[in-house]
Formats: sequence, C-alpha cells, structure tokens
Amino acid sequence: MNSLGSVFSTINRLQESGLIEAYAIGGATAVLFYAEPTRTYDLDVFVILPASARHELAPLAAVYEWASREQHVADAEHILIHGVPVQFLPAYTALVEESVRHARGFDYEGIPVRVVGPEHLVALAIEAGGARRRERAHLMLESGAVDAAALREILSRHALSTEILDAT
Amino acid sequence: MPPDASRDAQSASARRLLDAKLSWHRAQARLPVREKVRILLELQRQELPLVARHRLLRSWERPWPIEP
Repeated sequence: MNSLGSVFSTINRLQESGLIEAYAIGGATAVLFYAEPTRTYDLDVFVILPASARHELAPLAAVYEWASREQHVADAEHILIHGVPVQFLPAYTALVEESVRHARGFDYEGIPVRVVGPEHLVALAIEAGGARRRERAHLMLESGAVDAAALREILSRHALSTEILDAT
Repeated sequence: MPPDASRDAQSASARRLLDAKLSWHRAQARLPVREKVRILLELQRQELPLVARHRLLRSWERPWPIEP
C-alpha cells in the first residue's frame, strides 16, 4: 500500500520536472508537522509556477496534463495522487508566495518534503479567514511552535490583523 | 465552606482541568509526524460516516486509501 511519503515523493517529481518552480504543503496537512492532528480530507499544495505559466488563462493546465500522463485522475479541483485528493494552488497573494519561498524542509520517512513554516501557516489562515482556519490558527498558537514576534512581523508587513496575538 | 472559599476551590479546580487539557494538546503536538498521520487517517474513518448523515459528501471526501 502507498503511504503519505509516496504522495510527497510524487509531488517532488513534479517539481523536478520543472512544471512548478517551488512548492510547499499547506493547510491541515502542514499543521501535522507542528501541532496536534486536525481533520482534513484533502492536501493543499501551494506552488510557484514558472514565469511562462503565471499569466496564462489556465496556469495549472500543464500540471493537470502531467497528472494525466502519470495516471493520476483529476476530480473537480483535485488531483488524486495515490487516492489522496491533492489541490495545487498557485501563489495568489504576496503572502502565499513568501510562504512557499520560506517553507521548511522536513524528512518524512526518508522522503524530503517542503512545508509552510508555522508563523506563515497562522498568517495564511488569518488571510483566508473562516471559522475552521481560525480554529487551526489557535491550535498552532497553543502548540508552542509559533514565534509570536515573527508572526507579528509577518502580519504587520502584510497588513493583516494582529488580534489573534493580542488576545493570547 | 464560606462562599468565597467555595468559589476559590471551584476556580482552582477549573484551572487544573484547563492546565491538564493544554498539556494533553501539547503532548499530542509533540507526537512523531507519522503517528499524527495515523491519527488523521483514523479520524477520517470515524468522522466521515457521521458527516454523511448530515449532508451530501463531495466526491473527493473519503478516507485516504494509504498507510501513514
């Protein structure tokens, strides 16, 4: 049976193909690397696309074609990699792009994987909004993995509310 | 027990419960990532049938068919 490492390995191969410039795992799957598990049914992957693809009408078209060639089925906005719904999200804001560029490298069962850092994960949750993401941000803060000063600096630089820090 | 002493005892008891909860959450956070993935897969298996009783599931909402 495949493992989560097999999924990461496939994403690494996508990066090696040059169809994406850089990636970082985000969302609830990224939270697993820093805080307690929280439920999710898909795996978010933020990607920085090569300059040539960034301004196309369908910037992820090449990624979907690659998936099809690799026998990974597309299902709505997801690509099923070993049965795990993976959503590739082009860096749509300056904060997302910064989160990918400053992602941390981990070793998962011998497979290298890039994961959004803890402070950026909280900032992204605040930027995207919503009850579940706010809950996730609080989980991250309670885990003790977040450097409050670094988070405050990121939030201020991207003109996001620092209320979550002021309340703790 | 005088009312103030009773309130203090309740407050101390609530504080102990909150501290214990926080410490449990922090212990969960310190688990190896592979163990946390195992918990996530188990959460998916347990929760999805309950979610399905309240709303239609999206096509991709299903337990991941992988091992940690």
